[in-house]
Amino acid sequence: MNQILRKLGWMTRRSRKEAELRDELQFHLQEEAEQSEAAGLPAEQAKRAARRELGNVALLMEDTRATWGWIWLERFWQDLRYSARMLRKNPGFALAAILSLALGIGANTAIFSLLNAVLFRPLPVADPQQLVQFTNTIPLWETGSGIARDLYAYPQLERFQAQSKTLSGIFGWTGLGRINVGSHGTSGIAQGNASSDNFFSVLGVRPRYGRFFSAGEDRAGASVAVIGDRYWRTRFGADPSIIGGAITVNQVPFTVIGITPPEFSGISVGGSPDIWVPLHALDLLKPDSKRWKEPFSSAWMQIAGRLRPAISRQQAQAELDVIHRQFLAQQLPISQFSGLETVQRFVYEGHLVLRPAATGMSSGLRDSYALPLKLLMLVAGIVLLVACANLANLLLARASNRRREFAVRLALGASRGRLVRQFLTESIVLALAGGLLATPMAWWGSLALVRMIFAGDSRAPLSVDPDWRIFAFTAAVSLLTGILFGLAPALCSTRADPGPVMKEGTPGAGRSPHTLDRTLVVAQVALSVVLITGAGLFLRTLQKLWSVNVGYDREHVLMLSVDAELAGYPSDRAGSVYREILRRLQVLPGVKSASASIVRPVDDQFYLLDKVNEIDGRRLPERDVIHVAWNATSPGYFSTVSTAVVSGRDFELRDNETAPKVVIVNESLAKSAFPNQDPLGHRLGLATIVGVVKDSLYSGARDQPRPLLYHPLFQHGPDQEYRWGFVSFELRYGSLSNLSAEVRREVASVDPNLPVFDTKTLVAQTEESLMEVRLLATLSSFFGALALLLACVGFYGLMAYAVARRTAEIGIRLALGARRDHIMWLVLSETLWLTLAGIAAGVPLAWCAAQFAKSLLFGIGTADPLTIAATVAILIGVAALAGCIPARRALRVDPMTALRYE
Amino acid sequence: MSIEANSRVELLQGTLDLLILRTLLLGRAHGHAIAKHIQRTSEDLLQVETGSLYPALHRLEARGWIAADWELSERGKRAKYYRLTIKGRKQLQAEHAKWDTFSRAMGLVLNPLNREEA
Repeated sequence: MNQILRKLGWMTRRSRKEAELRDELQFHLQEEAEQSEAAGLPAEQAKRAARRELGNVALLMEDTRATWGWIWLERFWQDLRYSARMLRKNPGFALAAILSLALGIGANTAIFSLLNAVLFRPLPVADPQQLVQFTNTIPLWETGSGIARDLYAYPQLERFQAQSKTLSGIFGWTGLGRINVGSHGTSGIAQGNASSDNFFSVLGVRPRYGRFFSAGEDRAGASVAVIGDRYWRTRFGADPSIIGGAITVNQVPFTVIGITPPEFSGISVGGSPDIWVPLHALDLLKPDSKRWKEPFSSAWMQIAGRLRPAISRQQAQAELDVIHRQFLAQQLPISQFSGLETVQRFVYEGHLVLRPAATGMSSGLRDSYALPLKLLMLVAGIVLLVACANLANLLLARASNRRREFAVRLALGASRGRLVRQFLTESIVLALAGGLLATPMAWWGSLALVRMIFAGDSRAPLSVDPDWRIFAFTAAVSLLTGILFGLAPALCSTRADPGPVMKEGTPGAGRSPHTLDRTLVVAQVALSVVLITGAGLFLRTLQKLWSVNVGYDREHVLMLSVDAELAGYPSDRAGSVYREILRRLQVLPGVKSASASIVRPVDDQFYLLDKVNEIDGRRLPERDVIHVAWNATSPGYFSTVSTAVVSGRDFELRDNETAPKVVIVNESLAKSAFPNQDPLGHRLGLATIVGVVKDSLYSGARDQPRPLLYHPLFQHGPDQEYRWGFVSFELRYGSLSNLSAEVRREVASVDPNLPVFDTKTLVAQTEESLMEVRLLATLSSFFGALALLLACVGFYGLMAYAVARRTAEIGIRLALGARRDHIMWLVLSETLWLTLAGIAAGVPLAWCAAQFAKSLLFGIGTADPLTIAATVAILIGVAALAGCIPARRALRVDPMTALRYE
Repeated sequence: MSIEANSRVELLQGTLDLLILRTLLLGRAHGHAIAKHIQRTSEDLLQVETGSLYPALHRLEARGWIAADWELSERGKRAKYYRLTIKGRKQLQAEHAKWDTFSRAMGLVLNPLNREEA
């Protein structure tokens, strides 16, 4: 490396060195001449003698230059200039090659940028490889095995901090979700995070301005806030004087103490908080008596730590698992839950597991996109391979026109290595040019992908800014591509034995290396089969997902969320605000019916789970407890989303805080709680069942019907609190025009401080919930079409070349009276055979690739007959089309011209 | 093998480097001076070809055994002066030792009878 740099340095100083050498030799001449003159020679003669003595100056300079050590560089430079000349002579080829390479490399880089951002990029903190995240296993009845979760109770954090000797620091944090940040009379929604006071110091992040939390600052009454760099720029105009200033979070005053550095945006992929507050600030925002003491029923925080030097993750895990289990075993006897078998199993059978966290803490975004992005990487890689095969064929065809030239050069003594090197230089120049062009394309592409994934979310919490990894990837892929498509043609066309080639009359009439170009086309077809099958599988999955009967009607429903808590309403007054908004929305023109609920029919925020453990006053044994999902809805919800009420009634306005408690169950819950009975009038817990509704799929199209419990939204209020803050409104509309603006106006007329967010139709929300599959279906269709186009070009090139080569033969056949359709078939049959060979290779390959995507498919198997049939049909059709044009040209061959041609 | 007084000998491959290094041990010098010095001290037996002197100087410079600076010559002209580096000094010692061994070995083989005199 050093040597290369030194040589490059010399390159730039080359002209100076040349001049110096000339000066040096000039001095030598003068010195020699003067000495001879001093010895008595006449001046003229002395000069001539000196010159003679110096000898061949050009040779001397050449020899000297050689010692400077750039011989190989100069050769490379020669090859480079030669390549540039060849490409300039054939700009059409160069342009097509560079464009197709740019597309292929750009697609790969774009996907890799995302993959890098989601999976590979280490956290921008000191020694990220030392970070570990705490998870624990919970044994389940249903599966017998445990699931891992990453939530802990606060007393556990204190215990870990007090007792661990293997970690140098342990911190805890929790998301605050949406918060309302006020400053100088304006307010805005932001993402908040609460963390223990050692959060930044254990991570090793230094503040850009101000300071971070100091030790001991996380205590009751703590009201300081750290602001994220991006939020500081967008909301506060990057004003450093904000430090020490006052802001409000959900109407509670806080003091700003510091700004994070620009590169730090949180510790999990996709979550970039705008504001950090100490854990104990939670008491100011949402008081909860169980939060600090309860070890079993209140696990709400995530914990991570930093390994001490020379301590392995396994060592730390062994130590921490003991601390974890001891703590739980001590707490169990004094807990009110000590009699519960689930809690006992958690205490005695659960374990602590440390997860490496160099690239960030657990992240929902990473979980849902890791596999789709890896599949897309595979898809993009295949497209690039198809493009490579195409270029290899083009180069091969071009090289066969230059066989004579190569033969001559070989005969004159050029080494084959030198020729191959020249060939490779040319293909690598093409690939690097493609890579260069690909870089901006990839940047644009990855931004487009991020916009697609975070549809509608302007503060997409994922940065795909190019880093050295992405540049290294592009460079490596370009280089590899160049070698890949250049090597085979280079080796193939320099293998020629000069003798026979030079004896042949016309350049280009030589035998083509039959097997290689055909193999390449077959490979293109096989790879296209993989891509098109993949696209087909995802399109079919998408179609199946859309056609599932979800139990509600998606069309003509607009949804929006309002959060009264963020506007400073205490939970007991929030209910009346929501009631007022609902009343106004119901009478809007164009709105057929309106309702409110906590969870939307399709929800990307959360789902609510509960247990039914008492039926008609009879306590269920622990193993018979019914796990239910639940929602709280206003009167009119079922008619708004078109879920049929099977028996009984919907909630009514009279089901309020003071009325007797009522619930509605779905058919699944009715069936499991009251087999063969009418559930109406029975009690679940304290509430009486007043209605039964049709099953609907609670968490999207992939869900199964499951027991579902509905509480009345406005009765649910006072004792259970609006713990989830916001409420979603659903409107069944006749026409959407202007509706969302009118809705905003109505909400503002109740209170202008009420934040309205996530306004979207149910169809749009469903589309977002299917984003992973849509992304895969769209991109694999696009890439599949691209591969098909490339394969088509490959086919066309191959067949056109074959026809040109066989012009004489076809001419003779025609002259001897061959039928035209026979000639046509002659060309087409070859196309067809090659296609079938490609399909035969591609279908099993596609099946193998589909195994990776299995978990993303829905309603179809990995060997979906319809998809395979469609793929085969498309490929044969396209290949026939590509073969048709050369075939028709074969028909137009004039026998006389063809025969004279030889 | 006898040598006539004013005939010149061809330099053996690789020996020019050693001669240059040895010459520079006496102090810095420009190319012309180096050539003349070798010629003089070898009593004109060794004639340094300019065509191989300068490539050799540049090669030694590239290897870091000698370094060069532009200075004014005794006659007030700009000249490129070479000097020995520390690395070059070590190289000279090694080469010198190698040459001694080599020439002794050559002597032993060529003049086996004169062993005692050698």
